[in-house]
Amino acid sequence: MKYFKANLFIILILLFLGSTAFAARIEISAPGEQTIPLAMPRLVSMGVGSVQPAVAAEFQQVLQGDLELSGLFDLVNPASFLSDAQKLGLRRTDIDFQQWRILGAETLIKGGYSVSSGQVTVELRLFDVITQRLLTGRRYTGKLADIRKIAHTFADQILLSLTGEKGPFATKIAYISKRTGHKELYLMDVDGHQSKQMTNHRSIVLNPDFSPMRKELIFTSYSKDNPDLYRKEVYTGRESRLSLKQGLNIGGRYSPDGREIAITLSKDKNSEIYLIGTDGTIHKRLTNHYSIDVDPSWSPKGNKIAFVSDRRGNPNVFIVDIRTLEVSRLTYEGKYNVTPAWSPKGDKIAFSRMVDGVFNIFTIREDGTDERQLTFGSGSKEHPRWSPDGRFLIYSVDQSGGDKSIWVMRADGTGAKRISAPRSNDSHPAWSGRW
Amino acid sequence: MTKSTITRLVVMLFALTLLASGCAKKPVAEEPAMMEAPAVEMQQEAPAVVVEESVTEMAPAYDAAAVAKAAELAAAKGLEMIHFDFDQYTLTEAAKATLVSNAGLLRAAPKVNVLIEGHCDERGSDEYNLALGEKRALATKNYLVSLGVSVGQLNVISYGEEMPIDPAHNVDAWAKNRRAAFKVKR
Amino acid sequence: MESPRKQRWQQLQSVFEPGFKKMLLISVLLHLLVPILYYSPFFPKRAIEKPPVYRVNLVNKIVKNPQAGRPEAAPVKKKAVVKPQPKPQPKPEPKPVVIPKPIPPKPKPEPVKPKPKPPAPKPEPKPEPIKVKPQPKPEPKPAVSQAQENSLQQRLEQMRAAQERKASEQARKDKIAALKAAALAESNKITSPITDAPVGVLDGKGDEAGVSAVAYVQEFIQQQWSFAKYQAAGNPEAEVKMFYSAEGTLLHYKFEKKSGNNAFDESLTRAIVKSKQLDQTLPEAMEFHIFFNLKDMMDKP
Repeated sequence: MKYFKANLFIILILLFLGSTAFAARIEISAPGEQTIPLAMPRLVSMGVGSVQPAVAAEFQQVLQGDLELSGLFDLVNPASFLSDAQKLGLRRTDIDFQQWRILGAETLIKGGYSVSSGQVTVELRLFDVITQRLLTGRRYTGKLADIRKIAHTFADQILLSLTGEKGPFATKIAYISKRTGHKELYLMDVDGHQSKQMTNHRSIVLNPDFSPMRKELIFTSYSKDNPDLYRKEVYTGRESRLSLKQGLNIGGRYSPDGREIAITLSKDKNSEIYLIGTDGTIHKRLTNHYSIDVDPSWSPKGNKIAFVSDRRGNPNVFIVDIRTLEVSRLTYEGKYNVTPAWSPKGDKIAFSRMVDGVFNIFTIREDGTDERQLTFGSGSKEHPRWSPDGRFLIYSVDQSGGDKSIWVMRADGTGAKRISAPRSNDSHPAWSGRW
Repeated sequence: MTKSTITRLVVMLFALTLLASGCAKKPVAEEPAMMEAPAVEMQQEAPAVVVEESVTEMAPAYDAAAVAKAAELAAAKGLEMIHFDFDQYTLTEAAKATLVSNAGLLRAAPKVNVLIEGHCDERGSDEYNLALGEKRALATKNYLVSLGVSVGQLNVISYGEEMPIDPAHNVDAWAKNRRAAFKVKR
Repeated sequence: MESPRKQRWQQLQSVFEPGFKKMLLISVLLHLLVPILYYSPFFPKRAIEKPPVYRVNLVNKIVKNPQAGRPEAAPVKKKAVVKPQPKPQPKPEPKPVVIPKPIPPKPKPEPVKPKPKPPAPKPEPKPEPIKVKPQPKPEPKPAVSQAQENSLQQRLEQMRAAQERKASEQARKDKIAALKAAALAESNKITSPITDAPVGVLDGKGDEAGVSAVAYVQEFIQQQWSFAKYQAAGNPEAEVKMFYSAEGTLLHYKFEKKSGNNAFDESLTRAIVKSKQLDQTLPEAMEFHIFFNLKDMMDKP
């Protein structure tokens, strides 16, 4: 009996090994489809309060814009939707997944809204059509005017669910616009909507940057006849001068922890990069060279700063180690490389290069390898800034005709999209952190 | 590759010599005396400054107040802007000549305070241009001081590419916009 | 407590021959040497037997002994069906010389996005009976294309009305949609760089025009797999075992190794569920050990 048992065991093992040995090995080294087919029927009225198709339409438009920018999806043509598109179906058991599967959808957004006394409630679900599972569900309540924000917030949630990292769509863009005739500071949504004027200096306002911690901006203004660094609280509007050294106080950039600001000062008759505290006191001088040193940009770890210097003749990007003050050169190609922006993921540094009077945006690794050109064609593309998740770049485009606008694209240069309104004369965008 | 490094070296050497010769510290050198004939002999010791002084100060009568007022007016009206080459803050010969004349006006009117504004053309990055504009303003200031203008009269500010005088996007406009201009403060 | 054990140990030792300990030690060492040598650089491991990567035209028949040829070649047309008989032997001989040269086309990130329904439906994509379902009469087709041309709103209204009237109408439309999607998937098919190439596999030694089951399944599952490069982080890799019956039905599957990247693993689950039923039968029940990764999607520096 014992022997029999042992034999059986051995035979089973052999069988198991044998069967694995016979399994045909296959390697699939890329998906057949490089986008996720997504169906996004309109929000359905949940029956409470009034039916407001405009709310559903606006929600749809905002969410769709965000999702298209993400590059993750291939949207199923709404014209082919079948009967399930008109049903609310917030529970998986209420949904006829087969209908969606026929259309080729693999993911499905279902949602309903209700409006009563100025308040809007939106229920949203993201389903996996194939496995018929709920991937994420949210219920948002807000004022009617918040519908865009709700859509952006849910877009962030969808990206979290499908990539493991939240999207940046509910953040803000600060930028400079000359639409009043003066360069002033403005704020807008990531899709260019809801723009709001933040300063009225009637002077020259330049180079905004967001605090990563607080809802606060810094920028340079000539309001007091010197390019001084200002701080402004976004919601209270409170404003103060942070650095008013003689000469330039420009290009202020908050450190990743928000405790220090890298800035270009020229108090000693030459532009150098300094670290100052959030109270304006100088903590450390980072460069010491008779050439021009400007445009600091922090590494996400906060231990290095990329900057622009013409110490080797032409403006090029260099990196200084904050602790050792060791300077190394990053860019060698081209003759005019400026406005570095270190990706929050740390892997790349974006910058703009001028060739024949036209700027284009490039990325390069910290070690100077893998340089890639992201933008092409006419019009100068400058001032790249990363989204807080490193997925997207925002930048300004200066068409030779004088039209200045702000654009956004994916980190690999695809999906470029103008977000400024026509003839708005916008430039110098900066992306907020996740508030 | 080696070719380009050689050309680069040559260019750098050339630039160095230019810098050395054009360095604003000793304006003595080859000021093609706009006002004065004996420029060549002056090269050794006598600063051009002295000669000019006599020219401007000789003219008016000795009514001090009237003289000062006239000089102030002259300075306010007569200070001319200078221009720069692309991505450069070294003074061109033409610029130096203009500054010599400006220096004369300023020395005659020591009570006039002047703001030297450094400007750039629209090409290039804004921040870099702000620094470049400042370098231009400072080069201008240093040269004027070397010509005997009191430091206390001179202030500098850089506007980078923010305030073009010609908003067009062509070579002529850019040449006009790369400048150091003088604003008289009372 | 310890003493009895010690005693036993001593007893045991006394039983052994004097040189036994040494022998044992050497034996153990020798045995250890085998894995050590195996993992040493002396034995270069064929880590994963990487099969050649090429695209397969899924209309090609699965055969047991595929001939030399190209798996992505178009299926032999009626005309060609007659021909193979007179020239079955001369063909394979000159071709293999030509064929091995072009590197098998890797599944490049194709920008082709198969929209389930293009705005302008192609009039009658090749009547290929992928699904064995008989084609519905040509009559309903114009109805669908008309509806598509209408605006969304109109269509929705139309649909509502139609639904209330007939449930069967709906079913028929679904069928058409399915057929269209399938037909479109078909039209996205890979085309061979060499025209008139014989259908087969690159290393085929058999004599049947068709593709191997492995090549077919590889292509089939790959086509079911949707994953965006913007979802990826790092180099996720996963291994799945899939057991198919001879009828081409997935009997069961098992993740041998998950990638740890949730989005990646979920996309594989979707691909597997979509591959529940192959479009063709297999020569026999088969097991596949599939390695999923993104080597050919993520760009290298």
